[in-house]
Amino acid sequence: MNTVGIVVVVGVLVVATVVGLVLRARAGRVRLATPGASPPGSGWALAAHEPGLDDRVLLLQVSSPVCTPCRQTAGLLGELVDSTPGLVHVEVDVADRPEVAAELGIMRTPTVVAFDRAGTELLRVSGVPRRPELVRALAPALAG
Amino acid sequence: MPAPVDPAAPAAGSGSTSAEPGLDPRGVRFAAAVTTVVLVLVLLSGSGWLAGAQAVVFALGAFAGMRFAPYSLLYRALLARRLGPPAEREDAAPVRFSQLVGFVFAAVATVGYLTGLTTLGIVATALALAAAFLNAAFGFCLGCEMYTVIARIRARLRARNPHTAEGATA
Repeated sequence: MNTVGIVVVVGVLVVATVVGLVLRARAGRVRLATPGASPPGSGWALAAHEPGLDDRVLLLQVSSPVCTPCRQTAGLLGELVDSTPGLVHVEVDVADRPEVAAELGIMRTPTVVAFDRAGTELLRVSGVPRRPELVRALAPALAG
Repeated sequence: MPAPVDPAAPAAGSGSTSAEPGLDPRGVRFAAAVTTVVLVLVLLSGSGWLAGAQAVVFALGAFAGMRFAPYSLLYRALLARRLGPPAEREDAAPVRFSQLVGFVFAAVATVGYLTGLTTLGIVATALALAAAFLNAAFGFCLGCEMYTVIARIRARLRARNPHTAEGATA
């Protein structure tokens, strides 16, 4: 047994536990965009999707090929879009379009960024979104 | 046991090695737990050979496939039958990628310990331990999370000098 080894093991386990608890608490939480923080009007262009007449909110999901929660997120948002008029879901893969992740400052997948009709960011969620929280946060933009 | 195929699965990710059957998520967590224990033993003993053995374990999962990953075999032999079939299965590609990341760290650790660069060995093992522990205790795949960051860095390098980056991928 060496002292350095013991210290490193204890240190790593303590730090990793804190990191794990923070990540778990944050996962799927809605983070509202600070007004003016992101360039307006970029959302639909990044998604390469022309908004239709009735489209009000775009959910741009950034995924990667090596991401289990990305599939769950896609399933959840697919359901949500089916039951919510005016809501659009577009999934982009960082393997194909890393510039989208760079443009939006995304480091983790899945990250979902919601844009209003004008293409301005409303909010973002990293990890599998918590459905009721997301629905509540999107309601004003969908109604407006 | 057929893996449930999600008909609504998006095109994202279908380009990778998705031919492998889905994995039992409990087996993945079990493997991460065994990895955690082994890496703790590496740090306590300072053994480069043990780090090397773990590197071989990672390499088998990453390069040969999760079917041949030793800890997954152990799970199937010891626990899978007793626990019954899993409620859902998880895609093998992310886990395989995380094994590749683990292999890189374990290989660096092995070289560090065996060549007397002990600090390098300790740092590389500590990082691998953090990743394995996060997976075992929280189900969080740090190796998978690195994919986005790596993809962004590669894209930026390619944008800066398109000629060298294209040829330097091998």
